[in-house]
Amino acid sequence: MAIFFTTPVFIRYLNKKGKVVVDYHKPGKPNVPRPAGPVLLIGIVISEIILYVLIPDTKIIAVLLTTIIAFIIGYIDDLKTMPGWFKPVALILAAIPMIALGSHGHSLGLIFDSAFIPILYIPLILAIIPIVGNTINSIDVFNGVASGFIIITMIPLLASVILFGNVTVFLMGLPLLFGTIAIYQYHKYPSRIFLGDSGTLLLGSMYAGLSIAGNSEIIGVIALLPAVMNSFLFLSSVKKIVEHRQVKTRPVSISEDFKLVASKEPSAPATLVRLILARGSMSEQEIITKILILATFSSVLAFITIVIQYFFIKGMISL
Amino acid sequence: MRLLGLFMLIFIMWMMIVIVSYFLIFIIGPLHIDIFHNSSDRLISSIVKASSAIGLVVVLILMLGILKTKYLQKTLLKE
Repeated sequence: MAIFFTTPVFIRYLNKKGKVVVDYHKPGKPNVPRPAGPVLLIGIVISEIILYVLIPDTKIIAVLLTTIIAFIIGYIDDLKTMPGWFKPVALILAAIPMIALGSHGHSLGLIFDSAFIPILYIPLILAIIPIVGNTINSIDVFNGVASGFIIITMIPLLASVILFGNVTVFLMGLPLLFGTIAIYQYHKYPSRIFLGDSGTLLLGSMYAGLSIAGNSEIIGVIALLPAVMNSFLFLSSVKKIVEHRQVKTRPVSISEDFKLVASKEPSAPATLVRLILARGSMSEQEIITKILILATFSSVLAFITIVIQYFFIKGMISL
Repeated sequence: MRLLGLFMLIFIMWMMIVIVSYFLIFIIGPLHIDIFHNSSDRLISSIVKASSAIGLVVVLILMLGILKTKYLQKTLLKE
């Protein structure tokens, strides 16, 4: 509620301060205020502190610190364009509270059972937070995609957390879900505010933190498969960690009627949007719908995985 | 159905994750190496298990790379 009611005030503030960027995908190329990260962070921090007062669990502090560090990293990138390596490397710092405060388990849930990997789990956490943070960041290419994506994928994640994690982590996830629903009202097509790197890294890192604290890492990854695929396609075609804006050959171009067209250039990086556009041009709104349909599909697969995992863990099925 | 190919790609990725999980739990998990008949066997078993698990994840990534290349050839470059 706090996010929903303070965002219009924050939009006016950003406009007044001239903190706007051009939305190149629309006729007239309007200026859109950015970033929405601070308002999203304030809402989430207030909710998590209230939750901590009611349930003093260090997991809340660990996930909150991870989220705040990711926000700061993103905010630095919002203020000053940093090199491509900055976000993935700096996000390793965001993983440290999860390890230092011991908010993780020692077993990795692997659908059929859990694997006890106390030592291997630590480097895994150091990898998960930067990967998920950057994955959500790289899917934020059109109005409302990152926020819509998080809303859809949070549903199977929260279901998994309540089944295989604990109630506290489930309650910790609610501010992220409802905060994202609130910001989506302003971020959806046509956007009245952009999330910026601070917003997307905050969303991705908190999502990753919740999946670790809630023993739901694999479910979290499956729900994010279209975004994971986007990052994987991009990285494996450019073969190095670079900012999207640093890529010389663009994966998509805009036609005169403001439709998006896939690049025919073999050297252009492969992205999810380029694959969606492979069979013809589309409007921005059509692409957004297609991406969110893919997120729904992967979330259904995540739910199927939850059912399989539940039956195996409860011993109702054994091989 | 413009998204049919992408649905298939995501479904295959999901299947691969399920298969790798199966291998990790039912094949690599129960592995036990008995060479010296003392506590060092446990350490050796853990190292072998960890290496196999990492190797399996690397194979998964390589397979995803091949899958991606095939899909790109079939859609983007063919178009």
